[in-house]
Amino acid sequence: MTKELEKKFVNELEKNQSIIHKVCRSYTNNDAAHKDLFQEITIQLWKAYPKFRGDSKFSTWMYRVAFNTAISLYRKSKRGIDTSQIYDNLKELEYHDYDDSKDKQLKLLYNAIYSLNDIEKALALLYLEDKNYKEIASTLGISEVNARVKMNRTKTKLKNILNP
Amino acid sequence: MDHLDKLKNIWQNQSESPIKFTESDIYDMVQKKSSSIVKWILIVSILEFILPNLFFLLSDRTKTKEFYTNYDLNNVMIFYFGIYLIIIIGFIYYFYKNYKSISADTTVKSLLHSIIKTRKTVKYYIYANLTLAAIIGIHVFYKVFNSNLFIEKLPSDTNMFLVWVIAIVIFSFVLFLFWCVYKIIYGFFLRKLNKNYKELRKKE
Repeated sequence: MTKELEKKFVNELEKNQSIIHKVCRSYTNNDAAHKDLFQEITIQLWKAYPKFRGDSKFSTWMYRVAFNTAISLYRKSKRGIDTSQIYDNLKELEYHDYDDSKDKQLKLLYNAIYSLNDIEKALALLYLEDKNYKEIASTLGISEVNARVKMNRTKTKLKNILNP
Repeated sequence: MDHLDKLKNIWQNQSESPIKFTESDIYDMVQKKSSSIVKWILIVSILEFILPNLFFLLSDRTKTKEFYTNYDLNNVMIFYFGIYLIIIIGFIYYFYKNYKSISADTTVKSLLHSIIKTRKTVKYYIYANLTLAAIIGIHVFYKVFNSNLFIEKLPSDTNMFLVWVIAIVIFSFVLFLFWCVYKIIYGFFLRKLNKNYKELRKKE
């Protein structure tokens, strides 16, 4: 039974891993820390998986556990301080034929999100994922009114960072 | 269209992450142990429960016993030891209960709250211990300073008030050092969590 559950979990996670990568890339500034955080989120997801009953969407549940790990549970390892390997993913991205300006804008966006505080990072990601205020409020555990106010503040801050 | 809305569009259409894991990578990760802050809080808290008792068990108890007998402190110490046991059992129970309630599958605010609450149990444990130590200390000073055994050793013109002041100053300083060490460990774990919790609780 556990083996089966594990297989199902690994399979679902592999398919939905882009969500965790978005969180990792927003909360860390180098590949080693990104991988570290990804691993911790995976462990926490697996620990919580038996209780996941599908009341919410798998992706919503993943976001909640991923934010909780990034904000509260994850301890930056020493590698996290090393900024020498700051994401230089553009190099890798050049292999693919992407629209250069979009990649650049995405990279600037990630950099801007990284400069926000932990809670604002979560708000920014939830905004970009187009989540409604009810979902944002229930992910963070605050009232919808408070979520709205915090969101507006975060959006203004994000705009100012992107267009000083 | 607002600039952020354009970025939202780019965000939602972003290509796959440059870092990508296979099923076998994820399978390996599932086998690994968590290195979360909660695990560290558990380890440090257990040490905080064990270390003071270990010092007591490893100390030279024949000398301590002789000291208690000389100053008629045996019964007093048994009484305080009973109180100490109640404190330690009570706190271990509450700590375990709070620790068990920590789950990543909850809202961000309530997870922060439950971690902080767990760690706070240890804070109150330390405060309770320091208070008990202060009460025992004063009781011991009282017994010792009023015993003939002690007074006989002092020069006849000794100002007892000064003896009390010196004893209390030194003793308070030792307790203060313990408190400082604890504060540093406590702050180390909770700085980030408290900051985030405050941020969420802030009413705009």
